[in-house]
Amino acid sequence: MNRLLAPILGLLLLAGLGYAIYNSMNSQLALKAQTTVTGLIGSEKEAFFADPRVQHALLKQGLIVKTEKAGSRQIATAFDLSKYDFAFPAGQPAADKILQAVGKRPSFVPFYTPMVIASWKPVAKILEANDVVREKNGVYYWFDLDRYFEWTQREVRWKDLKDSAAYPVNKSVLMRSTDVRKSNSAAMYLALMSYVANGQRVVASEQEMQTVLPKLLPLFLRQGYTEYSSEGPFENYLSMGMGSSPLVMIYESQYIFEALKTPSGIRADMALLYPEPGLFTRHVLIGLSEHGARLGQALENDPELRQLAIEHGFRTTDAAAFKAQAESRKLAVPADLVQIIDPPSYEILEGMIQAIEQQMK
Amino acid sequence: MQNTAKPKFNLFNLIAFVVIALIAWSWFGGKSGTSQPDAQHDSRALHVLAGSELKDIEPLLPQLEKDTGVRLKLVYTGTLDGAEQLAQGAAYPLAWFSHAKYLELLEGARARVAAREKIALSPVIIGVNQSKARALGWDKTPPSWSDLAMQAAKGEFKFAMTNPTSSNTGFSALIALIAALSSDPENFTLTAAQQQTVQDFFKGQRLTAGSSGWLAEAFVREQERLDGIINYESVVLQLNRSGQLREPLTLIYPREGVVTADYPLLLLDATKRTEYDKVVAWLKSPAIQKRLMTETDRRPILPSIPLEARFGTQTLIELPFPGQRSVVDRILTSYLDEQRLPAHAYFVIDLSGSMAGERIDALKTALLNLMGADSSLTGQFARFRAREEVSFLPFRQYVEPQVNFAIASGDATEGSLSNARAFAQGLTPSGGTAIFSALAEAYTQIAHEQSKHPDRYYSVVLMTDGANTSGMSLDDYSHFFRQLPAEAQAIKTFPILFGDSDSAAMEQVAAMSGGKVFDGNKNLAAAFKTIRGYQ
Repeated sequence: MNRLLAPILGLLLLAGLGYAIYNSMNSQLALKAQTTVTGLIGSEKEAFFADPRVQHALLKQGLIVKTEKAGSRQIATAFDLSKYDFAFPAGQPAADKILQAVGKRPSFVPFYTPMVIASWKPVAKILEANDVVREKNGVYYWFDLDRYFEWTQREVRWKDLKDSAAYPVNKSVLMRSTDVRKSNSAAMYLALMSYVANGQRVVASEQEMQTVLPKLLPLFLRQGYTEYSSEGPFENYLSMGMGSSPLVMIYESQYIFEALKTPSGIRADMALLYPEPGLFTRHVLIGLSEHGARLGQALENDPELRQLAIEHGFRTTDAAAFKAQAESRKLAVPADLVQIIDPPSYEILEGMIQAIEQQMK
Repeated sequence: MQNTAKPKFNLFNLIAFVVIALIAWSWFGGKSGTSQPDAQHDSRALHVLAGSELKDIEPLLPQLEKDTGVRLKLVYTGTLDGAEQLAQGAAYPLAWFSHAKYLELLEGARARVAAREKIALSPVIIGVNQSKARALGWDKTPPSWSDLAMQAAKGEFKFAMTNPTSSNTGFSALIALIAALSSDPENFTLTAAQQQTVQDFFKGQRLTAGSSGWLAEAFVREQERLDGIINYESVVLQLNRSGQLREPLTLIYPREGVVTADYPLLLLDATKRTEYDKVVAWLKSPAIQKRLMTETDRRPILPSIPLEARFGTQTLIELPFPGQRSVVDRILTSYLDEQRLPAHAYFVIDLSGSMAGERIDALKTALLNLMGADSSLTGQFARFRAREEVSFLPFRQYVEPQVNFAIASGDATEGSLSNARAFAQGLTPSGGTAIFSALAEAYTQIAHEQSKHPDRYYSVVLMTDGANTSGMSLDDYSHFFRQLPAEAQAIKTFPILFGDSDSAAMEQVAAMSGGKVFDGNKNLAAAFKTIRGYQ
């Protein structure tokens, strides 16, 4: 019995030992090749980094990415950036603010997205009757920011609009945004409205800033309580409906990503409005460490990651891929946007935000 | 010998190999599991400072632990109280309230929030007895907030609502009411006429409480004399399912809109990020979102989960919520000093010999806090407020003459409050304990006052540190109480347990009036402050 058992056990054991050694070598080799990078991101990119397909594609580039959410404008001020490999805020101004804090670092713009207004068909109909919205090609709506701005100065209420029976509400016609002190999407809203308030010109001087500020303050103060990150107002839009959020300033990517989900929170009575003029939010990755910079390169150059960004609703330099997806998935989004303006300089935008902040205390 | 010895030797060798191999396997092959012991195996619970309205979520927590390895322990408090605790640095890794808007307006508290995720939704609405809703036509056409105010002023709509300075449902309803009535809802400003409408509305508030849960329980006991209750939609739906109601409540969503609770889970200790992410992912998974809807009657935050039929299909208008603390404080102060039914609080206080020493000092501190000494946020709201009548009935083996203070304004430096402070400073214990004679005297006064001033909100606080030694017995008192007019019997007694008080007798006194016993042994001042939410 023992004579028979011993060699078998011996073989089994050798095999086991061999496997254990092989296994450990293998995972150690793999660990050597892979780098974990930790970074701060705006909440609008959380789903992208949580996607297993994205994680797999990153792993192929030898990268394991750990993220923490933060308001894009908070990243520069509220965190110890030496603990992170990268910062990935939304918006050039927020990125500039970080670059000012950390000095010269490599930066990348793997994708961008236009600012849009999430709304509802009954609301869009009312706005159309009042000449603020136009339907074009039966799919999307253009939103006249100039006329809307004029309404905000007169504090026009929904119930006072023509043909407003579907939304007879005593609230001001007022777009909801995030907290302008904390988050980029509200800063982009401010950038857009400052252009309109300044007579269709980008605010470029202290003097212009002082002239437009009193007109812009109510756009934020009258919103009352605002959320910290772009995900908050969009979540309210999706789960609380038209009564809570008739008009919400969001990133186009948020809406497209939700529309592509199964099951999706986008319903037939929702409508996406494109402001005129429009503005792009650039998603700027700042490499705080060498490994962080590697992530920026991978996102900018790897074809698989670029395609996944499009599937998450972002636009890349590959306009054809974005258009192809919109057509194949029947998304009511325009492939080309005209009348795109630039945000004001970092200093001007920051100056306006600080002035609003003073009033919000 | 050799033949048998050799395999034995080999076998021994093999055993040694097995041991080494197993060690090697577990060492190299065990991946990183050993480096993160607390995520999976550590059973230390994470403490969550939570609003008491989240108690109904507790039955889901064992499943959370099973699925994620994270055990949560909820420590309950009121919304404003919790916000203040966090602003003052209370050390909890997580917090979970029906909403965090007020908390985020407090400088100190806001800075502590490392992450926030909304978990579910429940609007603060009005449950109205079905027959009343039908009689007023509210089942067909939802009323506006001013319709509610009009019926309240006529005495046609008597409702229960928590105190806005202690509980979120009262707070949300007050914000909604002001925003709905204001011609400039984004600024929460009222004209004189609108201010009058707010006062009219609160003429109907015939039951108040410091917590939404206790309010619902008290409503069940007193449903005969009330027409409705303001609470979370989830609580109204649960009341309808409870089988404790004489008739079902019709869910009323006022036309101008409501304020909705969104139950954010807050991360305060950033080192607990891993556990926090797991809990959030679990709570926001479709299966749990569905359970939150079917088992706790809250609306899912996940938009892909269809709402069950009982939630209705109407568009819920969400009214604005202030973005500045100063605006919230102005609304709350105005409620206390101008809009609510003025309160008349009776304090029946024990000055027997056993109160000497630390006990009388604790009582003085507690009373002085209500007279302006407590300058904290909640302390300011708990203070005696403008238009309030405060009566003290000190007792020993006899009842001392009643001492009254009419509070003229909401200002802490005001004259009537300094008189009250002088009175509290002068309290001197001696003699016996005539609890029930003193209590009977208080109710005799109340019955008399009620006939002169029916539009006041009366309550009795009884603080005693021992058993009854003189005057009426508990039986005498019960007999006396049952002879009182019905309106006087509806006035609640809130006994405070302190020192060697007779807790069984105190429970009886509370129960016969529909009141509630509070324990002042740990912190007498905190007990007095909490009771202010019920006055």
